[in-house]
Amino acid sequence: MIHGRDEIALDRDKLFSARLHAARCRPYLATALFALHVVESRRVPTMAVDRHWRCYVSPVFVARTPVAELAGVWVHEVSHLLRDHHGRSDRVARERGLTGPGERLRMNIAADCEINDDVYGDGLVRPAGAVVPETLLLNDGELMEDYLRQFRLGPRIQELAWLDCGSGADGLEREWDLGPDGAHGLSARERDAVRFRVAQGITGRPGDAPDGWRRWAEEVFHPPQPWRELLGAAVRSAVSGPGVGEDYTYGRLSRRSASVPGAVLPSLRRRPPHVCVVIDTSGSVSDAELGSALLEVAAISRAVGGRRDLVSVVPCDAAAGGVHRVCGAEGIALVGGGGTDLRAGFDRALRMRPRPDVVVALTDGQTPWPGSRPPCRTVVGLFPRFPRSSRRAAGGSRDEDGAEYVPDTPPAWARVVELGAGTAGGRT
Amino acid sequence: MPTHALPATQLDVAADLLALLRDTTTEPRPDPQLEALTLAVAADLPVLLWGEPGIGKTASLTQLAAALDLPLTTVIASVHEPSDFSGLPVVGDDPAEQGVPMAPPDWAVRLVKAGRGLLFLDELSTAPPAVQAALLRVVLERRIGALRLPAGVRIVAAANPRSSAADGWELSAPLANRFVHLQWAHDHEVVVRGLAGTWPRATLPRLDPEQLPQAVEFARRAVGGLLSGRPGLVHRLPSGEARRGGPWPSPRSWEMTQCLVAFATAAGASRDVLSLLVRGTVGDGPGLELLACVDRMELPDPEVLLADPAGAELPERGDLRQAALDGVVEAVRARPDKERWDAAWALLVRALETGAPDLVVVPASTLASLRAADWDVPASIERLAGVVSLSRRADRAAATVKAGVGGR
Repeated sequence: MIHGRDEIALDRDKLFSARLHAARCRPYLATALFALHVVESRRVPTMAVDRHWRCYVSPVFVARTPVAELAGVWVHEVSHLLRDHHGRSDRVARERGLTGPGERLRMNIAADCEINDDVYGDGLVRPAGAVVPETLLLNDGELMEDYLRQFRLGPRIQELAWLDCGSGADGLEREWDLGPDGAHGLSARERDAVRFRVAQGITGRPGDAPDGWRRWAEEVFHPPQPWRELLGAAVRSAVSGPGVGEDYTYGRLSRRSASVPGAVLPSLRRRPPHVCVVIDTSGSVSDAELGSALLEVAAISRAVGGRRDLVSVVPCDAAAGGVHRVCGAEGIALVGGGGTDLRAGFDRALRMRPRPDVVVALTDGQTPWPGSRPPCRTVVGLFPRFPRSSRRAAGGSRDEDGAEYVPDTPPAWARVVELGAGTAGGRT
Repeated sequence: MPTHALPATQLDVAADLLALLRDTTTEPRPDPQLEALTLAVAADLPVLLWGEPGIGKTASLTQLAAALDLPLTTVIASVHEPSDFSGLPVVGDDPAEQGVPMAPPDWAVRLVKAGRGLLFLDELSTAPPAVQAALLRVVLERRIGALRLPAGVRIVAAANPRSSAADGWELSAPLANRFVHLQWAHDHEVVVRGLAGTWPRATLPRLDPEQLPQAVEFARRAVGGLLSGRPGLVHRLPSGEARRGGPWPSPRSWEMTQCLVAFATAAGASRDVLSLLVRGTVGDGPGLELLACVDRMELPDPEVLLADPAGAELPERGDLRQAALDGVVEAVRARPDKERWDAAWALLVRALETGAPDLVVVPASTLASLRAADWDVPASIERLAGVVSLSRRADRAAATVKAGVGGR
């Protein structure tokens, strides 16, 4: 085989010294780093990964990059795989109809931004030329999907040298990829296993890993659910439970009874459920949240059969306002502000005649709760308040980062849905 | 009149066109979700298929019934009344004396008469709650009215995910715990190729009679091994709205898992299939931990490696290789003597020659620390000099980073 004049042997010692340094700096990523299979390739500009956890390495790049920077590149590349950037790129491409190599390049850049804003430091050097959100005049700490909306390809980006992270970063097959059948690829299950071990290493030793990685570890196998669906399911389940809504009853004979003489058969009877929505209008809930709450009320009224006259709304801050029938979300005056006491809202809702079958409370949770279970089904929609992780960890042991005021969690008798969680992530 | 014959001919032509449309071929194609379903059904565990409407759950069941040679009975839950499952009360001559028997529907009678079959309860999610309640008795107690389904009848249920279910069908935690949950998704490629005329034909796993004792032993070792070290995993109720109605770990679901591991092992099923089954029974987290445990069981036995360092087969994957080497060092630490120590060094040299050098660094330094005062350093250690320099180089990089030089 004839090679070009830039023929340089791959300096494996240097490459692996860098991996060792990376693994020492980030012990929780060691499993993932060691699971990468190195493939020497002269067609790769720098270092690149594919979705089967192969890492393609250019000998020239290794020769000209210092060990400490190479370690940063190792962590960067493995982060693409751990964060499933190729899968997310494919999903985004499908959802937003993005086609062509230009869009994939944007995805690579957006993914780089998601990684590069927080993986370096603490022993790891940021490789020269790495894209950070600041390069594109964007804010730190966002997800790839969000970055992707905020920039276009242009002259500023043409100057970025260090860009091709391979199909593992943006989902677009490269000519050097060995493909699914090539040797030493990881199967889907093996990839899950490695990601799981990394996540376990992070959650098992809180304090070691930065917040970004901890959030990743919490969500990698349980991505936040789309809250609209969860809320809808909770409300539907509450209104379709026994005693509410459509069910069989022996109170009236079935039409089938005629064909089975002597038998008593139940018949299907529909009793539309009454839903009362208690909306937290205290000062701590923003107008945008109230707007989305109203939209949800309309959606809930559709979910119970479209009869808006069966859905009533009680705005509530420290005291409960009057009861409104929903005849159009725009017609409700949500008056309030100041402190919250949802107990007043619950009281008002339960004094309604006919009594509601389901009470749905939309709140930020910074309120006292009724001391005992109300005599009907209860669904609580919670607007997220930070620190989110401390509320999540309320059942567990980790609470040390909850230095701010942490309100009482909703009582156990209510079904709780976190509103707004999951939409930002876009990882569903 | 000439038009008189037209309807018949037109229908004939239409029949020809339909025949052409239905003329499709099949090709063999591995299908992990169908394999998982087959194994769970073979293990006689109630399976719940979660999937959007119209993605071929029924077609898969037809294929499964053919493969298991069982007649398929499909019951669409949503068009039935509760009495169709709990039995119609029929008043006899003397109710006070003989009681009121609950008469079963015809399909149940036929199933019991046949003694074997595959009962598919479709569209659980759109049935009213009372029907669902009656159906769960069929699934869990295998009773339909006064009839009891014979052992040869296997039951599979299907439900739409909550997001697309009109009635918010949801399992309570105790019920969810009794099912093997399989997520049914369509494969884009399969659908496109199928519409072009070629549908997949899954090769279904067959249990190997020779493998049965090993399979049971393996399953017991895997589940027992995991749970003895992780008592917290034995029972953990699901928390949070998102995980409601899904699989979760309990002694019952672990027993089901053990059964499924044995079946998958005896059938020689792939790890992907095992993963679907295990995660569908005890949930993602505990399921993945069990799979990790199985992976560790597959690592070469340290004693075997130490017995023959020259011919040792080390895992190719870096993380597994390091785990195997760590295991060897631990084995030496547990029972240290000069011979084993030397063998371990030979193994490290072999690992260095056949794979990435950075994996050897930690095991080598641990092994070095195990040295007793009177042990001579083996000659082979010379060849590990590269590892030492590798480690130093990483140290230097760390030092330069610390000094803020940038490591050039």
